[in-house]
Amino acid sequence: MRNFIFLYIYLITITGFSQKTLPNISLKTFEGDKISVTELSSNDKIAVISLWATWCVPCIKELDAINELYDDWRAEVDFEVYAISVDDSRSVKRAKALVNGKGWEHNILLDTNQNLKRALGAAAIPETIIVKNNEILYQHTGYRNGDEYELFEKLKKLSKQ
Amino acid sequence: MKNIFSIISLFFFSIIYSQDQPYIYGSFESNSQLLQDDGSIGFLSPEDNFRSNNYFQVNYQTNNILAGIQYEGYLPSSLLGFYPELDNQNKTTNYFIKVQNEKSDITIGSFYEQFGNGLIFRSWEDRQLGINNAIKGVKLKYYPSSDIELTALIGQQRDGFNYTESTIQGLNTDISLNQILNLKEIDVSIGASIINRYQENGSNDSIPSNVSAYGGRLNMYSGNFSLSIEGAIKDPDVIANENTLVSNRLYDGTALQIDFGYSKKGIGLNTTFRRLENFNFYSDRLAEGNIYNQKTLSFTPTLSKQQDYLLTNIYVYNSQPRLVMNSIEKRSGEVGFQNDFYYSFNKDNFLGKYKTKIAFNFSYWSGIESSFNEDNSYDVKFIGKGPRYYRDLNLEIKNRWNSKLRTAITFLDVIVDKGITLGGPLGVQGDIKSKVGVIEANYLHANGKSSRGVVQHLWTKNDRKNWLGLVYEYGISSTVNVFISDAWNYGGDDKIHYYNLGGSYSKNSTRISLNYGRQRGGLICIGGVCRFVPESNGFNLNLTHSF
Repeated sequence: MRNFIFLYIYLITITGFSQKTLPNISLKTFEGDKISVTELSSNDKIAVISLWATWCVPCIKELDAINELYDDWRAEVDFEVYAISVDDSRSVKRAKALVNGKGWEHNILLDTNQNLKRALGAAAIPETIIVKNNEILYQHTGYRNGDEYELFEKLKKLSKQ
Repeated sequence: MKNIFSIISLFFFSIIYSQDQPYIYGSFESNSQLLQDDGSIGFLSPEDNFRSNNYFQVNYQTNNILAGIQYEGYLPSSLLGFYPELDNQNKTTNYFIKVQNEKSDITIGSFYEQFGNGLIFRSWEDRQLGINNAIKGVKLKYYPSSDIELTALIGQQRDGFNYTESTIQGLNTDISLNQILNLKEIDVSIGASIINRYQENGSNDSIPSNVSAYGGRLNMYSGNFSLSIEGAIKDPDVIANENTLVSNRLYDGTALQIDFGYSKKGIGLNTTFRRLENFNFYSDRLAEGNIYNQKTLSFTPTLSKQQDYLLTNIYVYNSQPRLVMNSIEKRSGEVGFQNDFYYSFNKDNFLGKYKTKIAFNFSYWSGIESSFNEDNSYDVKFIGKGPRYYRDLNLEIKNRWNSKLRTAITFLDVIVDKGITLGGPLGVQGDIKSKVGVIEANYLHANGKSSRGVVQHLWTKNDRKNWLGLVYEYGISSTVNVFISDAWNYGGDDKIHYYNLGGSYSKNSTRISLNYGRQRGGLICIGGVCRFVPESNGFNLNLTHSF
């Protein structure tokens, strides 16, 4: 137990020093092109990044909800949504069918061996973050009905900064 | 423990002294349970009734260096149903340093990697399944141009807190042909890989010390269509069961997977065909078929829709890639297909007013038709008429009625072989046929609070008969959520309630959840890999924090 306490003190200390930045991890598009996660929010662009999977029901609920409201939100705030699938090779093939079948307008990227998920320390998905110039400004784990409105409030606030 | 402190201190000092803006990120995860006796489900709590799995991970990154460590502690024991080798241990398990430039990178230490779809090789971590089969050694990646990626690796595979005695070597290449062939209308990429296991054969000369698996693949995208084909073969090797060689006879293995997809806005269709004949590859020849999913090199997950509701995930499928030859049963593998269809109605359609979305799925998996000879050889068809292991049919209709109310209706019809669900030989014990209906409603209250209710029923005349399931979840705020649920096996002899209640708090990158209740025993599958969980009763506390 004492060890754990020490460990935790270390953890807190490190947290104090750490900058919340996105690590340089490369992801793939459906077509196999590589893109670094650090490119998503350069030049003051605001990006919503959501880690999801075809088998994760709350993830799909969240992305459905954002998709339905996307046009309305975009009228007020300029932002892009990147839905990053952590599906492994088993289910990544059906991701494209699902994305199109649901009519999502999100940008889809693939994190098939879950490098980004690990780097973000996301134990559970959905993991939703807002980034600007590669800095993580908001992070939220899980989804319950209505969480999208809080996300939008954050977006509005952050876009004014 | 000393180890970690020195490494962490090193990180710590390097932040202060380093010149080029390094940063540190990591996470902490703790999953604990406190078990108690429960006579109604026949559960006797083990002596060490407090169990806890803990993970702490820190990474340090500069422009071209990434280093990380992971500490794990299973104190005083690992959660019920996890790999017993982990019990009462804590240690720095994984550590690595990766140096990269534009054309190449090298990793020394523990790494995760997969070749293609992972058919012949995937090393990865899944904490809920208790899998961490990282390779400790050296991995080299080289990118001669933007179209070509080459990987070479060598090392030993993690097994609990130790490493297997075998040496794993691998080579992989992925090539995009678009620019090379100047393709315009179509995207084409190919890949090839090899993975080799060297394991001493001791005094037994008739078993090979070197066994390799080879894979090749082709991916094509054109307009709305996609097609990918992957095939693999494995060198002849012995087969084993429960840590013992079955015989000295060698058998080769093959795998084939074909995916076809068509999709455009509003429609998505995907079909996967897969055939696995004696296709599983472990870093230890005796580890074959171990129930804890340890020491796996090949990744041959279940390909059927993953279910998420209380009652839809009672009768699930678990992939059967093995060649089994013993006095009780003989089988050579698995063949089948899985189809998904997604459709969204247009807004101006009658149903579209409510933004109706449907998802339909159908899958069928069976053994490969084989005949077994007296000399322990066997003849096999490509597909043939092997016994059915699993068949499911799934329809999901989701509606958004207004900005406050969303509903989802799910209907599932599933047939599973008793051997899959209850254990024992496959294809001889008969089926469990069941139907499940689920109605879910999500409602957003005016004050920002939210409700989610689920009613579900499972009908079956087999196994434990009918079930009724209820879930109610209340979101008090965006950070606090509470729930209560019950899966009631009212058709069964003991009429058991698997009740649960709990709550969670989630803010920024921290999440804490606590629940109390009964755990139904059975297979828990995540991403197609299944772990058997015994019945239990008690409290669970989960904590995650990332920084």
